[in-house]
Amino acid sequence: MHHGDRFQISESSIEDDSSLTDPSMRPIKDQTYYEILEVSPTATAKEIQRAYEHAKETFHADSMAVYSLFSEEEVEEIQKAIEEAFQVLMDETSRRSYDQSHFQTVGSQLPERPSEPPGGSKEKKPSLSFTGLSFNVEDGPYRGKALKQIREKMGIELQAISKETKINIKILESIEEEVSEKLPALVYLKGFLKNYAQSLGLNPQKVIEEYIHSLEELKKK
Amino acid sequence: MGGFEWGCLFFARPPVYLQQAGDKPIPYLRGIRVGQVQNNSRKMIWTIGGGKGGSGKSFITANLGICLSKLGERVVLIDADLGGANLHTFLGISPPVLSLSDFIKKRVSHLREVLIPTSTPNLQLLTGAQDLLNAADSKSVQKRKLIRSIQSLDNNTVLVDLGAGNSCSVLDFFLMSDGGILVVTPEPTSIENTYRFLKSAFYRRLKQSVSSSSVKDLIDSAMDRKNEMGIQNPYDLIKAVRRVDEGDAQRMLEETKTFHPNLILNQVRSKKDIEIGFSIRSACLKYFGIHLHYLGYVVYDQDVSNSIRRRRPLVLENPKSRAAQCIMEIASKLANRP
Repeated sequence: MHHGDRFQISESSIEDDSSLTDPSMRPIKDQTYYEILEVSPTATAKEIQRAYEHAKETFHADSMAVYSLFSEEEVEEIQKAIEEAFQVLMDETSRRSYDQSHFQTVGSQLPERPSEPPGGSKEKKPSLSFTGLSFNVEDGPYRGKALKQIREKMGIELQAISKETKINIKILESIEEEVSEKLPALVYLKGFLKNYAQSLGLNPQKVIEEYIHSLEELKKK
Repeated sequence: MGGFEWGCLFFARPPVYLQQAGDKPIPYLRGIRVGQVQNNSRKMIWTIGGGKGGSGKSFITANLGICLSKLGERVVLIDADLGGANLHTFLGISPPVLSLSDFIKKRVSHLREVLIPTSTPNLQLLTGAQDLLNAADSKSVQKRKLIRSIQSLDNNTVLVDLGAGNSCSVLDFFLMSDGGILVVTPEPTSIENTYRFLKSAFYRRLKQSVSSSSVKDLIDSAMDRKNEMGIQNPYDLIKAVRRVDEGDAQRMLEETKTFHPNLILNQVRSKKDIEIGFSIRSACLKYFGIHLHYLGYVVYDQDVSNSIRRRRPLVLENPKSRAAQCIMEIASKLANRP
């Protein structure tokens, strides 16, 4: 391996996201499609696609992660389950029908999935489960304190944003507290605001414009 | 799910908490202030075990210990490697004169008297724990007594290097700790041994949780995949136990839910190698029904070998090396865990 090689992985991607599923001690045939693919019932199509690729890679015939743990028959059974789960969950109609039959059977509520924009541009990193938002994230104006309130309402730690965006937590704190003397140069600030906004699922352009405007107002005072 | 994103400059810069606004990346460790991490008063005992000999457990233990002490933790490293106790060499100190046996044989009155200081402040070493683990009469009571003595020390983090092997004593120590860490290299032999260790530890934990002797026998039998009852995996085992004792089956399920070993992948050379950590995590979830926590990975780095030859810990000798950065990243996760 050369020093110039780039096989880096996001720090935030190695996170314990075990809360997503809990198929503890249930054989593969009794697990839901979501559990089989290790995704949340609110997962987007892109997340399902990625989970499917990971599952296929993990449970392929020559995988060194499984050969000593599972018999060949068990691996085949898992492979079939993965394919079946993927086919159903990737088809919107089949998935809706599956959700209705499954979640009604177990007596729980149907999962509420966030609407998915074309191309999945608003998709968040799966390690940070920013799903289940129950308020209007388009509320503005986006001053520092408003951003902080939105983040806290989402139940997201600033550290998680820092990990996802790779922005120093001190800078994020300064942005939220509007400590103008501690903020970086405007060009950098805009970049940070863009990443911060994206990580919360907000409109980056709107956040930048309104934040900079409020900052200028503050300086005038 | 095992979500991962490639392409982020994870190794190109130090962890975020070491960066200052607008600063260039600062050298590792030198910039860390004591008390930057959450100051948990609770003592944490981490055991590092599993896998093959040579997967880097002692190297990682020594360097993690240094990083944690630099992060403000008061750390004791315990060398309990049955195969070859040489944690002192990784720390660059001579074979210690005092060891745990001096305490056990009452040549000293308190465990702290056999702790050996190192060149790193807040980092001490205890050797000789292998004698206790290896002893034929090392009953559970003795091990618990040792753990109680360790807990009475004025330190908040303890790292125990268990080395390779899966004897009952090693498994018990692994299970008694607050967090067991498995160090694995991305090779079939290492992964195979790790699964063997994990299976032994998991079944031993289940056995310790049940009360019925016939269920205990059932668990023992299930360890052999060619057992007569046709128990192939933990699901079959639970099913079989249900027929004998429903209460014990429930207890086993509860144990499964709370068993969360940790994984460090060492000597990774490609992104495909890093992915293996996620695959191991998924395989454990599907097979055991347990949630393995993928703590992180350490890249293959020639600087590691160089530092060992010089008997100088990597994170002190070459803190900017990529392997040192990986270890620092893992240490910060350990220090900040709730």
